Amino acid sequence: MDWKKFSIAFFAAFGFIFVFGFIWYGTLMQGAHQEVPMLFRPKPDFPWLILGHIVMAFFLTLLCAKFVPAGGAGTCALLGLFVALVYVGAHLITFAVEPITSKILWGWNVGALVQFAVAGAIIGVIYKPASPVTVRV
Amino acid sequence: MKRFIFASIAAFIFIFFWGWFYNGMVVKDASAEVQNLFRPREEMMDLFYWIIIGQAGLALSFVMIYVSGFAGDGIAGGVRLGIMLEILAVSVRCWVYATQPFPAKLLVLISVGGFIEMIVTGLIVGAIHKPAAVRTS
Repeated sequence: MDWKKFSIAFFAAFGFIFVFGFIWYGTLMQGAHQEVPMLFRPKPDFPWLILGHIVMAFFLTLLCAKFVPAGGAGTCALLGLFVALVYVGAHLITFAVEPITSKILWGWNVGALVQFAVAGAIIGVIYKPASPVTVRV
Repeated sequence: MKRFIFASIAAFIFIFFWGWFYNGMVVKDASAEVQNLFRPREEMMDLFYWIIIGQAGLALSFVMIYVSGFAGDGIAGGVRLGIMLEILAVSVRCWVYATQPFPAKLLVLISVGGFIEMIVTGLIVGAIHKPAAVRTS
């Protein structure tokens, strides 16, 4: 593993995930979240929020670096999209058990798809090993 | 394709029964402590089809990711993928803890169940969808 490229890809992915999360979930979806105030804290607990972003960026980078070793924006974006679909499934389950509105559900789903696909593409562009690699099928 | 379909169906069946057992038996008391954050039981039952769709989507996405990069390692690859996806899910639970008033105990319990669920799903998928070949490019 090329740790230098890995680190750059990780920081770039973290930066994007954090900024996108702030704009999408924290700003654009704020009105939708306020429709069910009992489900949300008045103020987010930032250390946990940042830790979540760090872990997510690290393991998404690891997933791309280990299992799409050839890199490339398209392939890693596709992997990101597949990972996002796991969350879409989890959000649908959340919708059935928590009193969130359908606006929140589809907002979270669109957010996850964009966030993971773009983060995957960023990782794929940065993490490209120079030497030929083994591809698993 | 046949193995893909069998693996997806088997993963879905396991996820469904595990969810029913774990959430219905193990997490039941912890969730009852924050009943105000969940829908009433009748409402959940009306929306039960979303749980089925969500779990089916989750199983399908798992197998798609497995096939796109983990299939070469068989069961070990499936288990590794399960662990990585659950770590990503834990990162989302850090966001949930930061923004929603769920007690840490409940989220830890859900995460423990999530690890078991994803590891066993990986085991099942890896056992059904055996590696075809390893090639270099």
